[in-house]
Formats: sequence, C-alpha cells, structure tokens
Amino acid sequence: MDPDGLNDALGLSDDKSQNLGAYIYQPPKHGKAGERPSKRRKVSVSGNEPAQIDRQRFVPLLNGDENAQSVKLRHDSYQQLWSEQEHKIQAILEDVDAGVLTEVSSFVRETSSQTCNGCIPTALVTVGSNVSSLSRLLSRLNEQLISTEEGSVVVLESGDAPNLKTTLKNIIRATITNTDGNDGYQRFLTDRSGPRLLGYDLDLLHDYVQRKGTKKLVLALRDSEAFDTGLLTDLLSLFKSWIDRIPFTILLGISTSVELFEGRLPRSCVALLQGKHFEVQEAGNCVDRIYESLQTASSTQLWLGRNITSTLFEITSDYFQSPEAFSRMVKYAYMSHFFANPLAVLFAKPVPIALLSQRKLCEVIRNLPSFRIFCEDLVEEGSTKQVRDMLENDGYLLKETIRCLDAGQQKMRSIFQAVLAVHVCLQYTQNTGKATVSDLSVRALSGELADSTLVDDMIAMMKALDSNKLDELIGRLQDILYNEQLGAIKANLKLLLETCPESGSLRSGYNINSTVTTTTVVQSRVQLSKGKAELSEQDVEYTKIIDQLLVFLQDYLAETLIRPQDMFLHEAFLFDLRNPLKETFAPRPRFAIERALATPFDYLLSSSDATATKISAKQPATAILYQLYLESGALVNVHDLWRAFSGVFENEEGDSCDDRVVMSLFYSALSELKTFGVIKNSRKKTDHLAKSAWMGL
Amino acid sequence: MLPIEVGRSLGSQWPCRDVQARQLASLLSPHVPSPPTIVVHGISATCKSTILRGVLSTLEVPHAIIRSSECITGRHLLTKILWNTLDALGQKEEWEKAGKGRCEHISGLAVLLEECLAARTSDTSKKFVLVLDEIDKQREAPHTLLSALARLGEIIPSLCVVLVLSSTPRPLFLQSAAVPHISFPPYTRKEAIDIILTSNAPVVDGLPDETSLRVYPYFVFTVYDSLIGPTAGSIPNFRSICERLWPKFVAPVVNGEAPPGGNTEWDFSRLLVKNRSIFRHQGESALVHRIVPEETSTAITKQKTPLSNVTMMPSALPSLPYFSTLILTSAYLASHTPQRLDTIFFSKFSSSSLSARNKRAHHRRRLKVLSQAQAEERQAANDDPSTPNKRGKGKRTKTRITKSTLSSAFATSSATTSATGSGSGITGPSTILTARSFPLERLLAIYHAIDPNPPATPLRVAAVADRIYAELATLRRLRLVVPAAGHNGAASSSGNTTADAGDKWTVNVSGEWVGELAKGIGVEVGEWLAGGLD
Repeated sequence: MDPDGLNDALGLSDDKSQNLGAYIYQPPKHGKAGERPSKRRKVSVSGNEPAQIDRQRFVPLLNGDENAQSVKLRHDSYQQLWSEQEHKIQAILEDVDAGVLTEVSSFVRETSSQTCNGCIPTALVTVGSNVSSLSRLLSRLNEQLISTEEGSVVVLESGDAPNLKTTLKNIIRATITNTDGNDGYQRFLTDRSGPRLLGYDLDLLHDYVQRKGTKKLVLALRDSEAFDTGLLTDLLSLFKSWIDRIPFTILLGISTSVELFEGRLPRSCVALLQGKHFEVQEAGNCVDRIYESLQTASSTQLWLGRNITSTLFEITSDYFQSPEAFSRMVKYAYMSHFFANPLAVLFAKPVPIALLSQRKLCEVIRNLPSFRIFCEDLVEEGSTKQVRDMLENDGYLLKETIRCLDAGQQKMRSIFQAVLAVHVCLQYTQNTGKATVSDLSVRALSGELADSTLVDDMIAMMKALDSNKLDELIGRLQDILYNEQLGAIKANLKLLLETCPESGSLRSGYNINSTVTTTTVVQSRVQLSKGKAELSEQDVEYTKIIDQLLVFLQDYLAETLIRPQDMFLHEAFLFDLRNPLKETFAPRPRFAIERALATPFDYLLSSSDATATKISAKQPATAILYQLYLESGALVNVHDLWRAFSGVFENEEGDSCDDRVVMSLFYSALSELKTFGVIKNSRKKTDHLAKSAWMGL
Repeated sequence: MLPIEVGRSLGSQWPCRDVQARQLASLLSPHVPSPPTIVVHGISATCKSTILRGVLSTLEVPHAIIRSSECITGRHLLTKILWNTLDALGQKEEWEKAGKGRCEHISGLAVLLEECLAARTSDTSKKFVLVLDEIDKQREAPHTLLSALARLGEIIPSLCVVLVLSSTPRPLFLQSAAVPHISFPPYTRKEAIDIILTSNAPVVDGLPDETSLRVYPYFVFTVYDSLIGPTAGSIPNFRSICERLWPKFVAPVVNGEAPPGGNTEWDFSRLLVKNRSIFRHQGESALVHRIVPEETSTAITKQKTPLSNVTMMPSALPSLPYFSTLILTSAYLASHTPQRLDTIFFSKFSSSSLSARNKRAHHRRRLKVLSQAQAEERQAANDDPSTPNKRGKGKRTKTRITKSTLSSAFATSSATTSATGSGSGITGPSTILTARSFPLERLLAIYHAIDPNPPATPLRVAAVADRIYAELATLRRLRLVVPAAGHNGAASSSGNTTADAGDKWTVNVSGEWVGELAKGIGVEVGEWLAGGLD
C-alpha cells in the first residue's frame, strides 16, 4: 500500500507534517479579519467508514511486504485477545467496588435528615489515590436508584462550581437531564404554570422532586477538596434550609483524609453534616489483582515480561494512578506487540498455514536469536537433521514453530502456576512483609525465583508447619496444581490424621519445640545441652510426609521455573520492551523545549557541519538569545543582552550586518522567550530582566 | 385573643419566651394598627422564628414568611417576596397582573405589593404581615436593601414588615427613628435548665424511674456548669449532650456495680466522683460536632470503663505515592524556609559533607535561640487546649516542640526579611499560615536537593521536571499545594488550570503530617528546616 493511501485513510493527508519529527507549524489561514470562522457542520458518521479505517489501522510490516491478510489477522487476534482481557479487568473492577457500593446504597436508602438529627445525611467516601473508582461507583449507584425509581445521583465537579449561582444552575440542570434528558429540562422550564423561575431557584428542584416523587436525591461532589470552602459552606447551608422539602443526601469524595477535609471547613459548616465514612479499596491492591488475573489465567496467550512488569508497578507505587490507567498501559503494551511484531500472526486461531508460508515470515523466524539458541541446542543433542529441515524446509519450520509456540505458552502458564503456588506457600510461612504475586512474577520472569533466598526461606519454614496448617496448605495447593504426587501426599496425611484423631495437631521433627534444652549444673557451671525430644510415632510419620512434600516442591519449582528468555519463540509470546511504554506515558515537553532552544540543530537541519555547539547567527534568533540567557545570572541587563546578541551577528557577517534587522530579531526573540515564561520584567532593577526558569531542573 | 393569652398558649410549648410572645402579640394584633416595621433580633437558637410563626398563626393574621437564606441574589429575594405574598393572599392565579411575576427593583416591589393588597376582595383595612427571616444574611444584598425594605411599611399602610436579624443591630441602622425592636436574649442558666428539665430524662433500660428522677436534675445542672455555660452552647446542643452523656453517667447503676463506701445505693455525688472522666473527655468531644459521629450507642451497654473508649480511632492518614510525597515535602520546605537561607540548606555543593551539615545545624540553632522566648510562650498556649493524644506519645512531644519553635522562628525571620507573609492577618494554626509562596522553579530545585535517591547519571534528570508537573496537578486538585493567588482570592481560581513558570504556589497542609509522610520515604524534614531537629 502506498503511504499516501494510508494517510488518506487516517485523515492525515491534509497535514503531512504530522509524521515528521520536527516541522514548522503553520496556523490555518483565516479569511478576512473580522469575518467569523465558518461553523463546522455536524455530520453523523456513517457506519461503514470507521470500519474501513479500523482495518487499515495496522500497517504492513517486513518492509511493507507483509500481505494485507496477515495484517488483518494480527489486528483481529489483537482485538480478540484484548477484549477477553478487558472483560476480566472489568469484572475485577466491579467486584472490587461491590462491597462499598452495597454499603453506600444502603446508607443512602436508610438515612434521611430525620435519622441524622436534622443534619444533611453525608456519606464520606475516601478514595485515596484510587480516584477513578468513585465515578464507577456513582454511575452504578445512579443506575440502581433510577431503576427503583427512588431518586438519582447528580455528580458535581469542582470545575462546575465557580460560584453559587452557576453551581445551583448546574445541579438543577443535571438532576433533570439525568432522568428526562435535555429536552425534558427545556420542557420543564417552559411547561409550568406561573412565571418563569430563575435558573438557580431551588423551587425548580422542589417542583421536580414533587412531580417525580423522588425519595433520595444524592448529590455527589467528586473532588470535594478542590471545591472552594466558602462556596461549599454557602451551598451546604442552602441545602440545610431546604432539606425539609428536598431529600438531599450529600456524597463527598475525599482523596486525602476525613480529618484534613473536616479541618478545612468552618465549624458551622461541619455542624450541618452528619453521616458515615466509607473507604474504597486502595488502587495498589486492585492493580495487583488485575495483574494476577491477566498473567496467571489459563487462557492467557501473551505475557508481559519482567521489564514491563517492573515499569508498571514502579509507576503504580510512585505516582497517582488509577486501575483504569494501569489497564490502559497494559493495553498499550498489547497493542504495541501486535502492531509491530510480525510474529503476532501466529496467534491467529486456527493458524492459517497457507497464509503463513511466505518466505519473509520464515526468514524472520530463522533470524530470531531464540531460534539460533534453539538450533544450537538441537545440534548439541545431535539432531542435526531436524535443524537442517528447519533451515531449508519452510513448511516444516512453520509446523515446528506452531508446535513450539504452543509448548512455550504451556510452559509460561506453568511458570505462573508455580508463582501462585509459591504465593500460597508464602502465606503460610511468612508472617511479615508479604510478597505479592507481582513481586514474585518479576522474579519468575527473570528466572531468579527458583533459587532465590525467598524460596529457600519458605522451604525452611515449611518444615516447621504443624499438621493442621499443612493439611490446609496442601488443599490450597491442589486447587492450583493438578498433580498425582501431591494427591498421594495428601492421602497419606489424611490417613495419618485419621489414625490419631485425639492427639491434636502433629509436629514435625524440625519444629523448634521438639528440641529440648537440658540444663545441668556441674560444679557451679551451667551446662546446656540440646537433644531431640522423644518424638511420638505419629510425629515421625508426619516428618516423613513433610519431607516428601518438600522434595516434591523443590523438584517441581526447579523444573517449572525456567528463564522465559531461554525459550524458543519467546519473542512471540512475551512482550518485554520497556521503551514504548515509558516514552509514551511520560512525555517530556519541557526537556524537549529546552533542548530545542539550547541546541537547535538537534532538531533542525544545519546547513553547515561546523556549528555543532557554538552560538552562531545561523541559528534561530530565539535559540541564540536563549543560549545567551543561559550564560547570565538571575538578573540580566537588557542592554548587555542586546550587545551580546548583536555581537553574534557582527562576528559572522562583519560590516554588512544591518543593525535594524538584528534589533527587530532581538525584539521578536525576546517576546518569544517571554511567552515561554522564561523571563519576566524585574521589579528590583529597571532595565533588567529576571530569569524565571533554569535549565535542567 | 389578648396578648397574655397568646403568651400563655405558646408558653406551654416554648417556655421562657413569654415576654417576647406578648410583645409580638400586642404589636401584631389584628385589632390594633401595627407599626410599619418591627425588628426582631437575637443570636441563633433563641427561638425567634418559631415564636414569630407561633404568634402569627395564633392571631390568624394573614402573613408571608420569606427565608432570606434561601434567596441567592437580591433579585431572587424580591421575586420571592412578591410570590409568597401572592400565595398568601390567594391571588396566585393572577400573577400576570402583578408584573408578570417579575420584580427586579425594590421600588417596583412597592408598587406591585400595593396593587396586590389593594386588590383584596375582603376587608381592605385588614393588615398583612411580611416576615423576612435572617434578612441580615442576604447574599449579594445592596447596602440600601434593609432601609428600603423598612420603608415598604410606610408606603403601604396595611403592610407590616418584620425584619428578623441574627446580629445585634446598630442604632438607627434602618435610617428611621422609633422602630420597635424586640430582643431575644440568649437563655439564662435557670431558663436553659428549666427547658431541659421540662422533658423527662432519656430512657435507659434497667434504670429505676425513681433514681432517674432523683439524679437527673443534678446531672443537668452539672452538664450546664461544666460544658454548656462556658462555651455558650445552644439549647439543642445542651439537649443532645445530656442525651448522650446520661446513659454513660448512670452506667454503674445499670450494670449493678456496688457503690463505694459500703452504701447500698448510688447517689449523685458518688456517680459524679465515679464518672469525673466523662466530663473531661467525652464531654469535650461531645461539644465538637463531627461529620462521622463516634459509635457510642453500642459501646454504652457493654462498656464498663468509659476511659478506654475515649481514644478515638485515628483514621489512617492518607498515604501518597512515593513521588508525590517527595514533591509535597519539597513544597512544604519551600514554603517554610526563608529564601535567603536556601544556599545554606539546599546547596548541592558538598551537601553531604560534614561542614555543610554543621552549617545547617548552626543556622537552625541560631534561629531557634532568636525565638526561644516566644517559643516557650507559644508552647504554654499550645499545652492548654491540647486534646487527648491520638498518636504515640513520644512522637507527639517531639513534633510539638518542632512546630512551635518553628512557627516562632518564622515569625522572627519573616520580620527581618521583607515579610511577604506578614501582610495577611495571622490567626489560627500558625504552621499553615506562615507558609509562604514560592515559584515553581524553587520547588524543582529543592526537590533535587532533598531527593533521597538521586539518579546515578545526571543526564537522566531532565525528565523529572515534566513528571513533577503532572503530579503537582494532582496535588493541587487535592488542595495540598495551591496557587498563592488562590489562597486569598478563593473562588476565582477554582476553575482555571493554567500555570505559569513565574506563578507562586503555597503548601496547604500542616507540617506534622508532611513530616510523617516524608519520614516514610526516608527524608527527615527537620534537617532542612530552620529550628528543626534540636
């Protein structure tokens, strides 16, 4: 496909410069001054157009040689894979909210101003850094209340509340449009007897509440901290005086803490409110669950590698981030994989062999680093025939590839099973510093989990488990692993426990309690001697069982927890490029601007090669001025700056330099720097400019 | 009905307001002409509106009541007055005649009201009372509003305007002489206690009626003297505290504990001795209304020693992500360190060397000595109202010293410098208000200075500034860091989100919390602060 066609499809053809790294911005030309810009007509988008664009969103890879069908396959398998994962994420989010939702909705239903000593019933929802969860909660609460015809939820944000009048207008409008739509609101304003009321008159709302028979009108302030305190006080006192007629319930979303929030309100305002405090689960927990379900589910086909995982969790712990943002980042990772990796075709089910048998794809596979390692291993094993076939026979290679892909995916699944198993064991052995599934996954993905101290400690601790705990533990392990050996151990333990039901829990020989310290006093010296306490017969049996289990576990872990990077075709099913994710989600505008100004030829094409670092008249005037500015102190005399600036031009052009032109360049550069917010007029000294930005911060 | 009868009939329901009820009744009586304007004033919760309503409905005078607090603008108020009057006169259907229900100016209101009142079919001489409740709290009121409203009664003979104020009016504030004022003074000790005692003691299961009757009056006296009187509490407040404390007070009787001293019965003085702590701790916390009430009702029945119940569950302080915490800490330091000391505290050169540390310590000490006297004074002031401790004792004492010394240190240091912060009137908790504004660039610079894990390669640093902006936006949304202009100007800034490099910001939280957060990520705030760590 030619690039122009693609641009047409993407709607970029009118401005090709968007594809360039650096370009000169040309604002769209307006007609005559004073003429109003033509209004854009609203056109309803016809159905088939976006579908076509959608298909062409992926570009052919392999130097453009990839055929259209495999492009489509990559796109389709991406869609299918991600939609599955998205369902899972959605389910988790809903599940996380469910508890709070029921609590809040029952609070809303059960409380009224009568039960709150005449105060406004208030639900304080602390969301912590999990900012987005509140909007999910509110929309579901709204649906519930509307479906039971009890009332509705009106969401108010700090942006909607610049002053009291507008806020009230917004509240009234939002309440009515929530149930009746925008037309309903207009009709409501006009279709009433009597004169037209002012838009901010709560009589309107009162009327509406009476007509609808609303029992609960929940007003949710999503970011309560951001509201102006004076406004909030006014608003609340107004509600308080109306509460005998309009059944308000206030829901405040708080991101810091109830104390901090309460401390900022005046006492008189706090006295108007009474209610309950709810806590939404922290984002970190939610993110962990999402990650766990994405990676460990048995239907997973593509895994996120170690680098990505650690990047994702670094961002979660270091910054404010919602679970939605997390899932968006994961989505981006999936997208990048399918967008840029030709091997992603292999994910299509069933694998279209005929389609795949292109020369290029086979070449790609043969050039994979993991293929080389795979072949080397095969040669070492002595199966040279297989290697030769793979190198020469495309059909055979593809068959082998698909087989290996399946096997590799299977291995990945078992790695994560092992991670879960270790996680379960850790819950029984570790009392402090819980390692999360994500921590373990990072280790497993780098192939370090099997012989980490964490696992060693775990094994050591497991020796000391008593029989009750061990029984539980094996039960839970069985949920994760289906293994005959484990079943046998479980059966043995059961048998043992049945034979001695009266002796309570059994202890193993490794338990500290079963070593006895004896103290003997010999000639006024204390002698300590350790000896094994007498173990009962059952305990000896039990110790054997523990030994069996430990041997099994060690073998199992050593066998499953291999380095994913050693597997053939890991490039296809393991996405582990840190860069697109980091760059995309942490843009660096300030850095880019500073760099462009300080070294403009990093971005612009230079006409001569020599001007690498030095200031020269060939650079844009703003860049020259900026570099001079960097050399100065906190206060700059404008005249000095001008001398230096004109000096740059005089140096290069000698006498031919026109002072007036340079002066005008100087002025325009100065005003541009001012627009950037880099300099401002100083109040301390006349004729001086104050620096207000420093490079490299 | 004679005024005295009105007073009597209302007195049964609303005791101790006999005089005022009679005054109102005689002024508003349908048989005698009323003065054009009456002012009713008194602080909140003195029964002004209730008595007024009671009198009007008992006398059966046609009236309209407008709650001024429900009117958003002056125009809204006028429209509401017109509407409620039409409603009270039963002329609601004829709104087309009355200026189409629109009224934008008070002179227009006078004309319209006159027309409405003249159009009454029945006895035209009958008077009409217009009650404007809380009119002194009207939003966006022009300063002539009150005197103009007072003139309404003079222009329209059959109208009597009653202005209800919750502040004490200044002499001649209506610009007209001889307006009758009726004052509703706060209830005296005796009145308040009488009112509470007219209703019976709250019912407590398992408490003999006879004991309740005997002890309750003394209990109410004690509550008034210890809690309500000194804090000028209102009647509803008084009642709710009595209701809350009473079950706890009689808990020893209900639980069947043996009275001390070999007596067989509990009397008031023994209960009081036993429950002294209730008044100290729970009483004080009962005075402060909280949005989330403490769960007391369940605790009462089982709880034997109320002391253990006193300590409130400290709701876990919010924790911020690592990066945001660091930014907040730098913002806090930027706000609380005089700019002239930046080179001493934050200089990157040899920041870890011994000499720099010593220099910092020297300056911290110098500032401390300067302000020692004030610090002690302030600490003494701080000690008195300190409420029961929420967190660990050791930490608390430490932070308290830091806080008070710091605040006074800044009071002095800001006096010596050009005093940017001293312009605004300083009241309230000092740690917040002495926070001074700083430009963003300073925040960034301090961030780099205090970063506990500085990047190994300085080349990678460039991205930090950009990441800081994003986090700062969130911190701003949480009102932890606010633009300095918005700190005073309030409403104007709540919507816009522009940030210029030259704009100034301030931190908006108390130091204790920031200090603890910072400790969590390994930054000791005291080390960078003047007067900290000593």
